Amino acid sequence: MTFFSALQAQLLDTKYIGWMVQGWLMTVWMSLLVVAVSMLLGLLLAAARSSSRAPLAWGAAAYVSVFRNSPLLVQLFFWYFGAPSLLPEAAREWLNSSAVLLQWGGVVLLRWPSFEFLVAWVGLVLYSTAYIGEDIRSGLRGVPANQTSTALALGFTPVQTLRHIVLPQALRIAVPPLLGQTMNTVKNTSLTMAVGLVELSYTSRQVEAETFKTFQAFGFATLFYVLTIMAVDGLGQHWLRRRGQKHVQRVPA
Amino acid sequence: MNFAMLYDSLPYLLWGAWPDGQLGGAALTVLLSLGSGLVSAVLGLGLGLGIALALLTGGARRVLTAVLSFLRAIPVLMLIFWSYFLLPVVLGLHVPGVLSVMAALSLVGGAYLAHAVYAGIQAVAAGQWAAGFSLGFTRWGTLRYLVLPQSLRMMLPSFMNQWVTLVKDSSLAYTVGVSELSFVASQVNARTMVYPAEIFLLVGLIYWLLCAGLEAAVRALQHTVLAPRPARTAAPLYHRLTRFFSSRPSTPKEFHP
Repeated sequence: MTFFSALQAQLLDTKYIGWMVQGWLMTVWMSLLVVAVSMLLGLLLAAARSSSRAPLAWGAAAYVSVFRNSPLLVQLFFWYFGAPSLLPEAAREWLNSSAVLLQWGGVVLLRWPSFEFLVAWVGLVLYSTAYIGEDIRSGLRGVPANQTSTALALGFTPVQTLRHIVLPQALRIAVPPLLGQTMNTVKNTSLTMAVGLVELSYTSRQVEAETFKTFQAFGFATLFYVLTIMAVDGLGQHWLRRRGQKHVQRVPA
Repeated sequence: MNFAMLYDSLPYLLWGAWPDGQLGGAALTVLLSLGSGLVSAVLGLGLGLGIALALLTGGARRVLTAVLSFLRAIPVLMLIFWSYFLLPVVLGLHVPGVLSVMAALSLVGGAYLAHAVYAGIQAVAAGQWAAGFSLGFTRWGTLRYLVLPQSLRMMLPSFMNQWVTLVKDSSLAYTVGVSELSFVASQVNARTMVYPAEIFLLVGLIYWLLCAGLEAAVRALQHTVLAPRPARTAAPLYHRLTRFFSSRPSTPKEFHP
C-alpha cells in the first residue's frame, strides 16, 4: 500500500496531464494550420523563383535567403514585439481585440484568435514557406525538360502543361522532403512558447514550475512529441505506399 | 525607423559586458556555434562511419540507430531543457548553461550528421572498395585514400546546412538564460522598450551575416580546395607499374584517385 501511495505521489495529477493534453492539441492544430497554408504559399514561391521575370525571381531568392538564414526565434520576436510598433494604433487595438466573429444562440462559434496565436501562425508560416518553396522547386527541377516540350508539342497550353504534366511529377518527387518539413513544423511549434502560445512545451514548463516534477513534466512532453512525429511519419509512409501501388496498378497490361 | 539610437547598445549586442564582465552577445553565439559545430562533426563522422562500415553490429547498432532517430524526432528546445536539467544531476556538479546548451546542440547536430555521413559512404560505389583491396590497400587505407575523399565532397552540403542550423538553434539558449545574441537582444528590448522593430531587424541581420557568410565560405571551399581534381593524363603503363611496384612497402600517398 505504501509503495503504491509513494508511486502515486511521484506521478502527475490528472489536472496537470489535462493541461499538457490541451497544449498538445494546440501544437497539433497550429501545425495543421501552418502546413496547409505554407504548402500553398510555397507553391507560389517556387513559381516565383522559377519565373523568367528577373525582379520576381530575385525577390523570391532574397525571401528564401532572409527567412532561412535567421533564427525562427528572432523572427517570432520581430513579429511579436517589432511589427506591432510599425502599425498604426487603431490596427494594433483591432489585432488585440478578442472580437466574436460568429455566434449562434449565445454560443460563441468563432472568435478572433489571440494576438499570440496570430503571431505564432504568421511567424511559422513565413518561415516554413521558405523551406517548402525550395523543396517544391527542386521537385520542379527534377522533371526532365523534354516533358514540357513534349506537352507543348502536343498542343497543351503552358498552364495546362504545368497543371497536368509537370506539377503531378514534381509533387511526387517533393513528397518525401515535404513530409520532413511537416515534421519540422511540428517541432518548430515548440518555439512559439517564447511568444506566449500555450502549446505543449509551454504547458510542460508550466507544470514543471507548479509541481517541481521536472522529469515527469518534460518526459510527458517528450513522449508526446515523439508519438506525434511517429504518427506523421507513419501516415506519410502509408500514403506513399498506397500511391505507389495505385500507380503500378494503373499501368496497362 | 530609427537605428541611430541603437548605436549605444551595439557593443552590448556584439560582445555583451566584455571586457569588464562576461562575454555575451554575438561573440558568445559564435563561440557556442563553433563548439557545438566541432563536436557534432566529430560525433557525426564517428557514429556515421561506425554504422556505415558495420563496425557496430547487432544490438549495439539497433540501439544507436534508435537513439539517433529519437534525437531527430524531438524539438531541440526539449533537448535543451533535458540537458539543462539532467546534466547537473547526472554529473553531480554545477554545469554552466552554455555547456549544457552546447551538449544538447552537439547531440542533435551529431545525430543529423551521422545520417549524412552514412549516406555519403553508401553513395560511393562498391567497386571503389574492391579496387582499393585489389591494389593492396588495407581497409583503413581504402577508406582514407579512396572512399573518404569522394564521400566527404558529397557530404559537405549536409555539413554546411547542419552548421547553419546550429548557428540558428544556438538562439534557443535564450530559453535557459544564456546571454547569447537573442537573449541580449530581448534584454535590450526590455530595457529600452522604444524601438523593438529596429532591435530585432538588426539582430536578424547579424544572424543573417553569420549564416550567409558561413554558407559562402563553405561554397568557396567546395570550389577550390575540395574541387574534384582534373583527370590526369594517364602515364604509360610501364611507368605506372614500375612506380607502383617500387613504392610497394611505403604508404600509398602518391596514389591520387
